[in-house]
Amino acid sequence: MTRLLDLGITRISNIIMDMANLSVRSVDTAIESYEKGIGSKEQIFEWSEQLRVLQDEVTELAVELIARYQPVATDLRFIRSCMESSYGFSRFGRYAYDIMDIIGTMGPLTHCDKNPVLSMANTAREMIHLSVKSLQTQDKNAAEKLYAMDDTVDALYRKYLREIITPSNKNDMKDMTSDPRCYLSTLLILRYLERISDHACYIGDSVHYIVTGVSSPRR
Amino acid sequence: MMTSEEYANVDHQPPQRVASDQQRGYKVSIKNLNSWFGTKQALKDITFGVKENTITSLIGPSGCGKTTLIRSLNRMNEMTPGASVKGSVYLDDVNIYDSAIDPVTIKRRIGMVFQKPNPFPTMSIYDNVAAGLKLNGVRDKKLINEIVEESLKASVLWDEVKGELNKPGSSISGGQQQRLCIARSLAMQPEVLLMDEPTSALDPIASAKIEELINELKRDLTIIIVTHNMQQAARVSDYTAFMYLGELVEYGPTKQIFENPQQELTERYISGKFG
Repeated sequence: MTRLLDLGITRISNIIMDMANLSVRSVDTAIESYEKGIGSKEQIFEWSEQLRVLQDEVTELAVELIARYQPVATDLRFIRSCMESSYGFSRFGRYAYDIMDIIGTMGPLTHCDKNPVLSMANTAREMIHLSVKSLQTQDKNAAEKLYAMDDTVDALYRKYLREIITPSNKNDMKDMTSDPRCYLSTLLILRYLERISDHACYIGDSVHYIVTGVSSPRR
Repeated sequence: MMTSEEYANVDHQPPQRVASDQQRGYKVSIKNLNSWFGTKQALKDITFGVKENTITSLIGPSGCGKTTLIRSLNRMNEMTPGASVKGSVYLDDVNIYDSAIDPVTIKRRIGMVFQKPNPFPTMSIYDNVAAGLKLNGVRDKKLINEIVEESLKASVLWDEVKGELNKPGSSISGGQQQRLCIARSLAMQPEVLLMDEPTSALDPIASAKIEELINELKRDLTIIIVTHNMQQAARVSDYTAFMYLGELVEYGPTKQIFENPQQELTERYISGKFG
């Protein structure tokens, strides 16, 4: 026999997976836009807004399920984690839009060195995919992997920040003095990617909590 | 309340000391408790401790042994024909099943409130509360008056009935009757209060009052409550014990039991997946 609560849990799970797919698409598209100079800022804005609306929907549904069915144990942990994850996915959408905003504000960046961003973006995207997969498969060990990857992302961000403050060679200096749009856009996008990585970790934490009932050791 | 001299006159049995681990600070320690009705075993090797000034809920599906267990904690079970018990229940360091212990003394120290409010129907509100004292030989009218008032205050009923103490106990509402029964228990100054589904016959408002009262009472008492209402257990208790088929499946802090139970059977029961 299906519990009435199960109908709500299925509904909230479906919304979360829709959010996961849309947020992955948003970040992928934003990075592709940076790399290839294509993509629509309006489209990403629309997705970002959709994610925000879906996050509200998850919160409302979660509160309704708690009020009506008083879920406990795994059900309760799952619902709490859905609220947290939906916030994470909503942030992915917002950061994707922020990246598009930087690209739009700075104008063409074809002459800039894009390697720092693309290198970090690879890791950040991998983290998003891993966080989504962990949610689908309820993999409690993903949090640990995500935090290890987050350390890499943090290190890349700090390294670039140091390089800007103290350029180590003439080429760096030339790039930065000739066109500040390059290092400014790089730094800002790296910062957004760094935040995306953090939220991927939080989603991993949520999965760890659903499965084990205890907070992730790194949290 | 009753003076120490008065109480000493009522409480005849000296405590039976046992050379034990002092039950590790537990007010009630249940050790390897087994119970039968004829040949049917109702409790199987139950062992756990209840800390002083806490509320412990016993939950589980019908027939799992909750009521049998709670009735075993003040030797009420032995009044059932064919019932037998093996094992120990310690109140502090006194084994209540020790052959030297008078069950009446135990019932005085461990009070009980039942599912259905059961005031003595022909007695007034006042006499319902005073009955236990009078039966136990307390004659001092002033003292009885004091205890009746304090017990009714402690059960949050005084303000509602103070002007009509001579009305029959059965004439007040169900929720008030249940609080009257609690006052009747409190008049005997118990150390532990057992409550067997105390709100199952009450509406939500009366139930909420009883729950608030339970929470107030734990300042002075140790409370063990049987409930079928999972949300009630989650709301009122500090510790929860889940029983199934006469066995204690899991016992722990209520937050843990309801947020992260360690046993799959507990998880399935509290989530409504069986039972």
